[in-house]
Amino acid sequence: MHQAAFFRVEGTLLDRPALAAAAWLAGNARGLGERALRLGNVALAAPLSFAGSLASGATATRITWMGLRGMTEDRVEVLAEEYYDDFVKDELLDVGKRLLRRARKDGRRIVLVSDNIEQIAGRFADDLEADDLICNRLEITRSKATGRLEEPVVGGNLAGQWARGFAKANDIDLDLSWAYGARGGDSLLLSAIGKPCAVAPDFRLRRIARDNDWPVVER
Amino acid sequence: MEPLRIAETFRGKHILITGVTGFLGKVWLSMLLTELPEIRRMTLLARGRKGVDAKARFEEIAERSPALRPFRALHGPDFREVLSEKVDVVEACLSADLCGLSEAEASRLMSDVDLVVHVAGLTDFEPDPPLAIEANLRGALNVAELAKRSAGKRMIHISTCFVAGRPSREVPEFLEHGVSPLGVKFDPRQELDELSAEMLPLDSVRARTDHAMARGQRLGWPNIYTYTKGLAEHLLLTIPELDVSIVRPAIVECARSFPMLGWNEGINTSGPLVWLLGTTFCRFPSRPTNRFDVVPVDTVARSMTLAAAESMRGEGREIYHVASSQRNPLSFGRAVELTALAWRRIHGREQATAFESLVLRHLEGRPVEADQERFLDVHTVRRVARSLRALLKGRDAANALPERMRGELADSLNRRMKSASMKCRNLDRQLGRVDDMLRTYRPFIHDHDWIYETEALPAATRRLDDAERQLFGFDVDDIDWRRYWLDVQVPGLETWCIPLLKGDSVPEDEPLPLAHGSRRAGRRRAEEKLGENVDEKRRGLATHSEAAEGRRSQRSASA
Repeated sequence: MHQAAFFRVEGTLLDRPALAAAAWLAGNARGLGERALRLGNVALAAPLSFAGSLASGATATRITWMGLRGMTEDRVEVLAEEYYDDFVKDELLDVGKRLLRRARKDGRRIVLVSDNIEQIAGRFADDLEADDLICNRLEITRSKATGRLEEPVVGGNLAGQWARGFAKANDIDLDLSWAYGARGGDSLLLSAIGKPCAVAPDFRLRRIARDNDWPVVER
Repeated sequence: MEPLRIAETFRGKHILITGVTGFLGKVWLSMLLTELPEIRRMTLLARGRKGVDAKARFEEIAERSPALRPFRALHGPDFREVLSEKVDVVEACLSADLCGLSEAEASRLMSDVDLVVHVAGLTDFEPDPPLAIEANLRGALNVAELAKRSAGKRMIHISTCFVAGRPSREVPEFLEHGVSPLGVKFDPRQELDELSAEMLPLDSVRARTDHAMARGQRLGWPNIYTYTKGLAEHLLLTIPELDVSIVRPAIVECARSFPMLGWNEGINTSGPLVWLLGTTFCRFPSRPTNRFDVVPVDTVARSMTLAAAESMRGEGREIYHVASSQRNPLSFGRAVELTALAWRRIHGREQATAFESLVLRHLEGRPVEADQERFLDVHTVRRVARSLRALLKGRDAANALPERMRGELADSLNRRMKSASMKCRNLDRQLGRVDDMLRTYRPFIHDHDWIYETEALPAATRRLDDAERQLFGFDVDDIDWRRYWLDVQVPGLETWCIPLLKGDSVPEDEPLPLAHGSRRAGRRRAEEKLGENVDEKRRGLATHSEAAEGRRSQRSASA
């Protein structure tokens, strides 16, 4: 069986939340009116994503990406590429670099878990040469985004059930694997993995880490 | 299904080609020279220009044209040797009887020719009609006369899909002889004679153009180009003792790979349209769901090779459509959005001006109804420019100023008013050109939507083996329009076409140094190298194709 290192991309490897990507894409729609409408839609998700105590972060994620409804696949692809080049490509956090290096050195399989859409997260995973990527996928029908995400939606919280299913399908020993998270919502994933680690955690995750005696890595 | 072996079919053959100085002709010639060393001889009928004879004109192309880059790269400085052994350039005037050759010259030349490929033509949509008649009709008939004297008695004629004319419909790969696009029965020979005769008394280009347009439109051809090309098809296919195949490309655009990524030449159909979308006049009169039937020039060159091979085997079809609208359609809505996204990229570059990055980058083109007037469309801005000019022209600022200020300000104000008036006039002229262009293109980008049945070329491709399919197969199905438009088409036009629209020049290659050593040694080296490189290339392409196939199956498995 393999050992893996699960990284919640937003917070441990990158500073920018997925919301920023959605807002940027919405803000570059065709025409000013369309931009304003889409940005308004994405803005609805902002308070939800910052309200960490929600039962499921997936709701906020769903609302975030709803702002792209009706956008063509071509535009999503092209803008995602531009967003990646301008705001993601060279923004890997130093702490993330260190953790990735160590995981590779120890022969662990690198699994990235991201709230972002595949068009952005996929490029990031390719650049990092990650072994697996779990991210959101926009539902596309007739070359246009429907505004919905394909299941399973990767939200603020990713349940342990998902991790166990993934480990079984990929022959991964969860007890010997590591998981890195930075936000309160990541605690469910971290608690399902044998060796959880909080990376520059927010207030909620710091408290959970202290309660559970998880190691904390600062930037 | 009997295999079609391209190299085998072309082996030892002598091919006569016209129109090699044009965009498509150059690419096809380059492909034949590079990929089919089996061809024994090529005779090129060409015309001299600006005091330079045909031979010198072709030499200049061979030395400098980027279209022949793969051929020069294959042979290095020895390419001249290979050319001199393989290619003959004959000075010709296609609009003259027997293309300007004497009966004896024609007989001597043609007795050895296996196939005639007529690429030459006048592609302007609304030229002076006598020029179009000479180039597209009489030229084709004169070349056909030569082809009748050839050993093979076979001819490939390059036409256009748009001879389908009005109305919008699904166009079969079939021509009903003597029946116009609108279903009117007519006699093509009589039509040509009447058209030519009616041009004689008309002394202005406008009158001739209007008259020819009206005649063409009566039969269903929207402009002089499609009218003359359409008539030529009807005339050629009824010539006895000559086996004619017609290759009809749709809108020929930038190359996907051969002679190189993005290659294009001259001001073609989509160049001005793409350029327009990158300016402040980004409203594009087209219907978003209509098909923009674009094919890369190397796809057309491959298709010509396929058609030529079938023809030489006596299996040629009457019509070959080289089009994308049926098998892999691209809509105008999508093309316009991709163009806007491509411009967004270009205007976002570091070297872009502040106006480009702050204004143009966010002014995205979109398709609009042609007759609907909008703020900032060509007509409105033209009207404003004209009104401003009328207001400024001939005015004396002194009359509008108080007497005590006249001395100080009148001259300077008059100068400024004159300069503004000139700018308005130039803007009006520029927009007039844009307006003319949009009017000319309107039937193709707005009014009609054609689907061209494309069965003959895929059928020919299925007969090829894997290696030859990579080199010559009809590959429209594989085009990813997003990648093509963003990485090939718009950058290609930006390099090779848009500078011409702006009055700049486009890059040419530096001539290679002369080859060293004796002529015979050079020839030997070239022959050896030719064999090796072609084999290597075929091997390389086969490997590349296997890898691509592997990637494709991986992706479909994961999907």
